[in-house]
Amino acid sequence: MTAPRVGIIGIGQSPFTRRRDDASYPDLVREAVIGAMRQADLDFDAIDGTVYSLSPDAMVGIGNAETLGVDAVGGRNKPFLRINTGGATGISSVAAAYYHVASGACDVVLTAGADKVGECGDSQTVLNKIWDPTYERQLPHGTITMLAMSGIRYQHKYGMTEEDMARVVVKNRKHAALNPNAHLRTEVTVDDVMASRMISWPIKLMDCCPQSSGGGAMVLASEKFIKQNKLDVVWITGVGHCTETYYQGDRMGTGQTADHADAYALGKACWRSYKMAGITDPQKQIDVAELYAPFSNTEFHSIEAAGLANVGQSVPMVNEGRFSIGGEIPVNPSGGTLCTNAIAVTAMIRVAEVALQVWGKAGGHQVKGAKRGIATGNGGDHQFFGTVVVEA
Amino acid sequence: MELLKRQETWNITYTHALGETASWFYTQLRDNKKLYGRRDAKTGRVLVPPRAFSDQTLVPTTEWVEVGPAGHIETFTIVYEAFNGLPPPPYAFGFIQLEGADTAVGGFIRGLDLSNPAKAAKKLAVGAKVMTQFAEQRTGDILDFWFELV
Amino acid sequence: MGLNRKTAVIGTAIAAPPPDDPRSLEELLYDVTQAALIDAGMSIEAIDGIVVGSNDQFDGRAISVMMASGSVGGVDRDILSTPSAGEHAFVMATLRIASGLYETHLVVSWSPTEASSMAETQRLGADPYFHRKLPLDELAGAALQANSIASATPGVHDLATRIAELNLNNGSHAYPAAAAQTAEAGALPWPLRDGMVSAPATGAVALVIASENYVAAKGLTNIAWVNGMGWATESGYLGDRDLNQAEALEAARDRAYADAGITNPLETLDVVELTDASPYQQLLVSEVLGLSARADWESDVATGIFTKHSALAVNPSGGVASFNPVFCTGLIRIAEAANQVRGTAGAHQVKGAKNALAHAASGFAMMYQSVLILGDQPKGAAA
Repeated sequence: MTAPRVGIIGIGQSPFTRRRDDASYPDLVREAVIGAMRQADLDFDAIDGTVYSLSPDAMVGIGNAETLGVDAVGGRNKPFLRINTGGATGISSVAAAYYHVASGACDVVLTAGADKVGECGDSQTVLNKIWDPTYERQLPHGTITMLAMSGIRYQHKYGMTEEDMARVVVKNRKHAALNPNAHLRTEVTVDDVMASRMISWPIKLMDCCPQSSGGGAMVLASEKFIKQNKLDVVWITGVGHCTETYYQGDRMGTGQTADHADAYALGKACWRSYKMAGITDPQKQIDVAELYAPFSNTEFHSIEAAGLANVGQSVPMVNEGRFSIGGEIPVNPSGGTLCTNAIAVTAMIRVAEVALQVWGKAGGHQVKGAKRGIATGNGGDHQFFGTVVVEA
Repeated sequence: MELLKRQETWNITYTHALGETASWFYTQLRDNKKLYGRRDAKTGRVLVPPRAFSDQTLVPTTEWVEVGPAGHIETFTIVYEAFNGLPPPPYAFGFIQLEGADTAVGGFIRGLDLSNPAKAAKKLAVGAKVMTQFAEQRTGDILDFWFELV
Repeated sequence: MGLNRKTAVIGTAIAAPPPDDPRSLEELLYDVTQAALIDAGMSIEAIDGIVVGSNDQFDGRAISVMMASGSVGGVDRDILSTPSAGEHAFVMATLRIASGLYETHLVVSWSPTEASSMAETQRLGADPYFHRKLPLDELAGAALQANSIASATPGVHDLATRIAELNLNNGSHAYPAAAAQTAEAGALPWPLRDGMVSAPATGAVALVIASENYVAAKGLTNIAWVNGMGWATESGYLGDRDLNQAEALEAARDRAYADAGITNPLETLDVVELTDASPYQQLLVSEVLGLSARADWESDVATGIFTKHSALAVNPSGGVASFNPVFCTGLIRIAEAANQVRGTAGAHQVKGAKNALAHAASGFAMMYQSVLILGDQPKGAAA
């Protein structure tokens, strides 16, 4: 059987920033939820259920912090559950909301969450705790070092310079300057990036995502509800997830299925969603992409995994402007994760931004004529990947 | 409008069972300064560090295979930033494929000058040969060994 | 609203390892997954998707699905995680199959005891704005709810003691080793007393579920149909709730009963596996599920549904009072209920069980409530 169509009828997001001392964590959730409900023009009574988007509890500092979000999403006495796939949580939550509707269980589903990464003290300290206590916790693993190591292998396999990485930052900051919700909106030059301090070779400060605070929310609905209420909508036509081995060391050496240089499972997640959406030639059939890439170097293997460039070939294409607004397939016209990273919702914002694009509602960072786009999310130690296809 | 804040710290200790496979690996390291991997029965891949089953094929691993102490770098990074609860920089660490192993194991890479990132990175490039160094006093922990360039 | 197609439980495995078990958590999860697959008569290749439910703070791993993913067959597969509750993993998996995009699913939940203090880890669930300084852990939440129930209904303390005895008696058959490890007296907040709550234990549970199409194609007969499913949450702040009520359970119950066409649960159901976070809560749950009206509690404890002689068997597994792997007790209720319907419950099998209800509750004072109706025949609303 083919799954019923599921539409996006409302989107809300905070103007992201480092700290929100004016708002508690549930306040931030509420902020985004109100935005989404307003756009969907719905009361809470219309919401059949909620999927709550929240990754490590430790980042927010509250165990099972979703319990504090119940009232923010109007969830009392309603179906409610939480999703966590690390950094991919936001996109996995959208997918989970999609299944709530596609299963026939709910007509209207809210997915929402927030994060206060800037408040947690040190996100890398928390993120070190995602590593295996048996063999790896004692080493100074963190997400920055992990993706720096991915960059080293990418460089070794295909070639990539620090300047190439810097050009990704330049591109995304330029996009973010057009996006009032982005956190880092100041444009930078290659020289600025090269002069920023070295964090973890080859990743420098400006190659890194910020620690952002803010909320995100989306309302999904069944085709039946949308038709009955004559709602303005864009459609989710493809959803896919795939996972790699937890062990980074298994993604290298001899005989590996996935290489740490690449994003193998992201590729599989993409193609699962493409199959559902009827996409056979991504380079021709995709107008815009919001690809989860918290560090500049990771945008390369993400573009390739999505099939928007052949493996190992995206570097010169980024340099040529193929993936900039105005180019053939803009990647991260919102500025992407590199400019805004409120971990619990970052991957949801990827879907939200692609939805806004194909809806024609992206404002200053609109990609002209975009009708079909993809969003991706990454989580764990480059382990969990989700992809969503959105169409007008 | 006066905005107040509160501070909280999480303070829980965990005692994680390592299981027989990891325990044997660590006791060999502690008592005999030897490193071992386990073979994935389906693919034949020698997994280091060793596990009781392969997550790739979902079959139990068979036979212990001694690996190293020589090896080469599969990836690395050099950290120059201080993070709470992590070592003071600069330090280099990465994943090393030991001889006889098909996967790479994580560890510190010590003994080289890290003051110039680009220069140090050239020395640590993928493929660089290393030798495992063992701590004098070993407790049966991943930090009982590290790597140095040869 | 009914789901677009039906699902059935086709395999289960419950792990109750002894305290000196040599396995690591990942090895335990690998074993329970393999056991469920064997029970379902299939290999991991036939699994289209996986949903797990675990608690980062219990596990001591900041994103607990990461390490576990490999053990449960997640590599190169589609895996999601619902850290809100283990039973939510079952809900999510069922929805995924009902969407038509998956034919089979593996559902796994677990609860280790590696933290230095379960109470301390649970206390992290209290908000830091107003309540973190209070000794608010799950036992305290249960005690608060117990007191709320007791203040509304005098005489309930004796009933609670009797119910605890009954659960432990059942547990001594179903989980003899675990049932012997009751929580230390003196460590329990009033009015919880010795024998009412089991000490936290390590445990894991895995289920394999499949679509009606898969069941038909494979000609599977040893299955339990999911005939009703309802799930809901209370508000986050305990102080906002009337703990003498369970409104979220009413919502979950209504949905599940409507799905399954249940109007008289006492008549329809043969077995109930409910989450007895405390025997007081067992009474409240029984009331809300329509099994024992409050006015009948006393007589039902003496001669009615809470006894071994009732036509309706309640907690033949011994419930949480007997075996308490805290985070996955909800999903275990679902596995136990499914086993009863499938006739695979072993020593505590209720003869002729055809229709079972699984009630799962998680969080402070039963914050998350889920009701599953399982039966040997597919029944109830479809789209």
